[in-house]
Amino acid sequence: MLRYITKRVFAMLLTLLIIATLTFFLMKLLPGSPFNNQDKLTETQRYALNEKYGLNDPVPVQYINYLGKLAQGDLGYTFQFDGRTVTSMIANGMGPSATVGFEALVFGTLVGLVLGIAAALKHNTFIDYGAMIVAVFGIAIPSFVFAGLVQYYFGVKLQWLPVAFWNGPEYHILPAFSLSVGVIATVARFMRTEMLEILGTDYILMARSKGISKNAVILKHCVRNSMIPIITILGPLSIGLITGSLVIENIFAIPGIGEQFVKSINLNDYPVIMGTTLFYSFLIIAIILVVDILYGIIDPRIRVAGGKS
Amino acid sequence: MSMSERKLTPDLFRPAQLVTGKSEEISKPSLSFWQDAFRRLKMNKAAMAGLFAIVFIIVFSLIAPSFSKYGVDDQELMRANLPPKIPGLEKVEFLGVNGVDIRGVNQYEMKNIPADQKFWFGTDVLGRDQWVRVWKGTQISLYIAFLAATIDLIVGVAYGGISAFYGGRVDDTMQRFVEILYGIPNLVVIILFIIILDPGILSITLALVITGWIGMSRIVRAQILSLKNREFVLASKTLGSTNGRLITKHLLPNTLGAIIITSTFTIPGAIFFEAFLSFIGLGIQPPTASLGALISDGFRSLRIYPHLAIYPAAILCVLMISFNLLGDGLRDALDPKMRR
Repeated sequence: MLRYITKRVFAMLLTLLIIATLTFFLMKLLPGSPFNNQDKLTETQRYALNEKYGLNDPVPVQYINYLGKLAQGDLGYTFQFDGRTVTSMIANGMGPSATVGFEALVFGTLVGLVLGIAAALKHNTFIDYGAMIVAVFGIAIPSFVFAGLVQYYFGVKLQWLPVAFWNGPEYHILPAFSLSVGVIATVARFMRTEMLEILGTDYILMARSKGISKNAVILKHCVRNSMIPIITILGPLSIGLITGSLVIENIFAIPGIGEQFVKSINLNDYPVIMGTTLFYSFLIIAIILVVDILYGIIDPRIRVAGGKS
Repeated sequence: MSMSERKLTPDLFRPAQLVTGKSEEISKPSLSFWQDAFRRLKMNKAAMAGLFAIVFIIVFSLIAPSFSKYGVDDQELMRANLPPKIPGLEKVEFLGVNGVDIRGVNQYEMKNIPADQKFWFGTDVLGRDQWVRVWKGTQISLYIAFLAATIDLIVGVAYGGISAFYGGRVDDTMQRFVEILYGIPNLVVIILFIIILDPGILSITLALVITGWIGMSRIVRAQILSLKNREFVLASKTLGSTNGRLITKHLLPNTLGAIIITSTFTIPGAIFFEAFLSFIGLGIQPPTASLGALISDGFRSLRIYPHLAIYPAAILCVLMISFNLLGDGLRDALDPKMRR
């Protein structure tokens, strides 16, 4: 197990290094420098500015410096505001983004579990079909379409909930709900499949024939065992949440990382784009790693001794 | 009790005809795996509905733009923001396609549009025919779907197949490379492309070419690895089959089911990816229309001109749902073990 974790952490660092290297050299490929088109600067001033930001060094030296700064969490300065660092922008946006994401994940998983369990227990009844129709729609309908619809219906037409912005608990409901639809659908489908498989196993029959009540068997044996593989889809689900947050935060005007990110792309604010890209990569790779390790710990049957998936 | 009361006499019975081979005879014509799979698929109503919807959308996206005499970027501010008006259906009040907007004003009369001009999906802010734009946008989604499937089939199958078939050091090297690519989120790849190229169809295509085949290659590799050591492959090898024959006659046909299922699920993923990018402004750039960009524009005026967002959103949803239903149906048909 320890060997496996070491190997995976090493692979993760390597992937991050590759992404960082790619982003750095792509930035160098771009024509011009940040101080290129400011005509008022004299040659000396431009030289001084380049010197200050280390742009006069040879590219390999800049690369080493960049990696060194990166290791300390220094992602450079944004072009949008004077003197603000990318790290502080990400840190500011982190709160709302993480809150919405977490709420969507928890709500979506709970509702998905309930739907999936109900569908499996009432297999081939209208509850089953209803739950699966919800699941197909939830997977197929793009989150931005869904978000737009609930925003229009509950926010504009019925005026039950605020249309946008981020000023209190009631502002969380619509974005978190829109973001959770994909989670609900995926978890419900997965849970139903797993439950159906486990309901047919011999040990469930055994537990029932020993005289354990139906509810106890379902809760203690079926649901618990079905939930183990759910952990494997938490990785892809979290990635989906990160992608979804880009549009959800824009639609509901939430001051999170995703909203800043899209704004920076439209404004060509390269340091923020690159910093956030690296941050997202780190987040996604770390989530996948943690999920894989958790899975090995929780389910001893699939101890990944050799480390080959 | 009536059964036992009836008298059983010997003349009620007749000796069975013992013809050798009669019991061995097969009453129905035997079905190949593919015929059987197609029969199962035809019984699945949802999957067939999905298939028909996809065919319908493909045909319409190709022929529909020519129904209108306007091009995708023909602007005319005199006819901006017209609500939809469909000949024939305009008499039916509740459909809302009679050229009257949601405030009850007949925009066609107000703007003095000639009676023969009817915009089936209305017009947008710049007076462009929404009907043409929506179907042109659908073409882009379908292009992405086609592209994703092709990349899956060519690169994914070849990569996974070669990696598993040759094994050993080849497999190790190829898998290390995939592990690194797999770790890079495809959102990151597309953003890198947007920075060096420009947002547009080329960046999305390249991003899909680089990341789109990885899932498929992993599945094909797993399938071929398990097939490679099966008895029938070994037997064929012992009888002197070449590698090419092994691959084309034994390995690929047995993997085809998994390949088809995987690509039907890759397609909606790719369609969503493009629509999502266009929605946040990183994908297809104006004046080219794309469903994601049209929905994004439509949401800005959802209260006053709902028709601008509703039609592209509906077509995108139908397309996504259809591919998912078809994928589910194909999985049940091709892999009955997976069926619930």
